[in-house]
Amino acid sequence: MRATLRRVSVRSILHADMDAFFAAVEQRDDPTLRGKPVIVGGLSRRGVVSTASYEARRFGVHSAMPTARARALCPLGVFLPPRMEAYAAVSATVQAIFGRFTPLVEPLSLDEAFLDVTASRALFGEGRAIAARIQREVRDATALSVSVGVAPCKFVAKVASDLRKPGGLVVVEPGDEAAFLAPLPVARLWGAGPVMQRRLDALGLRTIGDLAATSLESLTAAIGAAAADHFFALARGVDPREVVPDRDPLSIGRETTFQDDLVDDEAIDRVLRNLCESVAQRLRAEAKCARVVRVKLRFPPFLTHGCQTRVPAALDDELGLLRVARTLLAKGRPTGRPLRLLGVTAAELENRSASPRQLGLFDSPSEDPARVRRLTRAMDELRERFGDRVIRRGALGDAPDD
Amino acid sequence: MKTLCDRQELQDAFAVVSGIPPLKSTKPILQNVLMRAADDGVTFFATDNEMSARSALSSVKVSEPGVILLPAKEAAALLRELGDKTVAIQAKDGRCRIECGGGAFDLLSPDASEFPTEPSFTPEVEVEVAAKVFQAMQRMTSFAVAREETRYAINGLLLDFVDGCLRMVGTDGRRLALAYANLPSNAQRARAVVPLRALQTLAKAVPGDNDETLRIGFGKNQMRFTVGSIQLISQLLENRFPEYEQVIPKAAESTIEIDRVELERNLRRVAILASDDVRMVRFKFSGNELEMTAESSNVGKARQTMTVDMKGKGGSIAFNPDFLIDALKVCELDVVRMDMTDGSIPAKFTLGESYCYVLMPISGT
Repeated sequence: MRATLRRVSVRSILHADMDAFFAAVEQRDDPTLRGKPVIVGGLSRRGVVSTASYEARRFGVHSAMPTARARALCPLGVFLPPRMEAYAAVSATVQAIFGRFTPLVEPLSLDEAFLDVTASRALFGEGRAIAARIQREVRDATALSVSVGVAPCKFVAKVASDLRKPGGLVVVEPGDEAAFLAPLPVARLWGAGPVMQRRLDALGLRTIGDLAATSLESLTAAIGAAAADHFFALARGVDPREVVPDRDPLSIGRETTFQDDLVDDEAIDRVLRNLCESVAQRLRAEAKCARVVRVKLRFPPFLTHGCQTRVPAALDDELGLLRVARTLLAKGRPTGRPLRLLGVTAAELENRSASPRQLGLFDSPSEDPARVRRLTRAMDELRERFGDRVIRRGALGDAPDD
Repeated sequence: MKTLCDRQELQDAFAVVSGIPPLKSTKPILQNVLMRAADDGVTFFATDNEMSARSALSSVKVSEPGVILLPAKEAAALLRELGDKTVAIQAKDGRCRIECGGGAFDLLSPDASEFPTEPSFTPEVEVEVAAKVFQAMQRMTSFAVAREETRYAINGLLLDFVDGCLRMVGTDGRRLALAYANLPSNAQRARAVVPLRALQTLAKAVPGDNDETLRIGFGKNQMRFTVGSIQLISQLLENRFPEYEQVIPKAAESTIEIDRVELERNLRRVAILASDDVRMVRFKFSGNELEMTAESSNVGKARQTMTVDMKGKGGSIAFNPDFLIDALKVCELDVVRMDMTDGSIPAKFTLGESYCYVLMPISGT
């Protein structure tokens, strides 16, 4: 009885990660590339590597490295621009295979996903067996290899999938999580960026095992309660995050109700800027862009107005969003009328991935969407590591005082 | 005020101005049309503070001059329904009485002294063009004007008068339509971005077979259009029109001549299978063949070839088919000329003696 209960309560989570995905697709589609170092990425002067084949990694090339640097390291490498459409098509096939084993599939990007197969075990066998079948079926269908990690939680599954690439299958049994993680460096912990790594290092904590062995009190004293709880739990292999199947949000919105009604145009604009920034960040995190922008206004006491507009080219940057939102606000709010609530919503979302894009006649190089995207991506990464207030666009003005 | 009007002329003159009053307004008085009867005839005047129009009728007998307001919506509907040859309109105890046949209709009429006065306007530059020509130019360009919010103030048509040539330009940032006419005028350069609504109102007021001359007055913040007894004054849009001349390709690697009717027919067919998310048809030119293809993941795909006359090396380019069909619909020529270089820069279509269309492609193909 007890054993049955335990069986039910322990989850079986898979993390599946395609091996050197973009490069592997290129090598598959062009046999002359096989065995050669293939580097897929932006080829312009300021491009970055998206994926390097395993042959290229031997030269020290890795993803996110500037392409120029990769060329220096690996001058004989084959450098290719990404063919997102091809990758998206393969990705769809792979995701469909995942879907044969469980409806609980959470894709993280084109080439990786979490699967919760807890309830599928009765049909398909244990996590290891399901993982092995997935590897086989992906190979049969696409001639590509995938590494899979199996564990009772997302974090451990993800670490496991990365351990024996390519083609790896690593299973961490319930109860073995802490022992499995112990020898690994703290950098493997989800959320441990360079700054946190340095702070942990200063405490003499190099491995995840070091961190698990320390006391929660001393850790709290050193890095604060929130971070300490987070890392302490992860280090022991505790990660309660659920596998959330690919939810396709219909819209992404943010709104603010003011403590005192706002009248001052400048103050209202400041709030609008922050809302736009926050919505744009969410859009990018979800890899979406919006075809419709909506602004919600509430005038005291409870008169709520919405106005929206379609934009010709889908947006995911704060400046674009702000430009449209400002126009809507100007239209919807009679001059000088006090405002109780302001909201910005991005709707009719589309996937940003590889979809063809209508070019603009008057796009200037500084508004080249690819460049804007690289800049905003870099800003998002900084915010993720150092907090929301570390960087913002000059044009958006000062950070709100709070 | 007391008048007797010819019904048809009354209907026509009233229709010129009755579309202007706003349906909703913070100033309800603007929902009226001002009627002024003087010894020399009757005029109607309406405004929404952004544009105003005045029309006149001469087949009228004024037995008592005066001024009165008519509620625009109701009066327009009423006038449309009247059948007799003549209509009597008179002011009576704060009401406006309309009599026709055996019918008498009393409309509440607010105090006319509250109504805005006609704007005064002195043009800095004035040019003349045949109304017919102007309307054709408008047909060729207005469909390209942005209906959506865009970053440029291009929700209007640019009128650019330069070196004796009047250019009309419409763009939404993805396509650009340019029509021009040479005018006998030695006026200086003048330019203005006119709200589309004003031009639509003008087009409606002037019948297509009109042989009259249109006078265009460029002012600082306003523009005046005069045809016969009709006058329309509009505020201008912020003059931030993009540098349109720079995006019109001056040279191209390939020049292709295509039968217009066949192109439009084939394109419409292929466009049916272009996906709704990203409307896209690929054009591939090689030798003297054009191949058009479209694909929609949940519906199917289309391929259509046709013979063209090409000079150059050809290549591939993808467009939103709707953008091209819009332009082909108003094309004057039997053979369309297309100038293209590759799939990343705009293609230029010559669609009339003095009409060109620039279309930006879709990338990622």
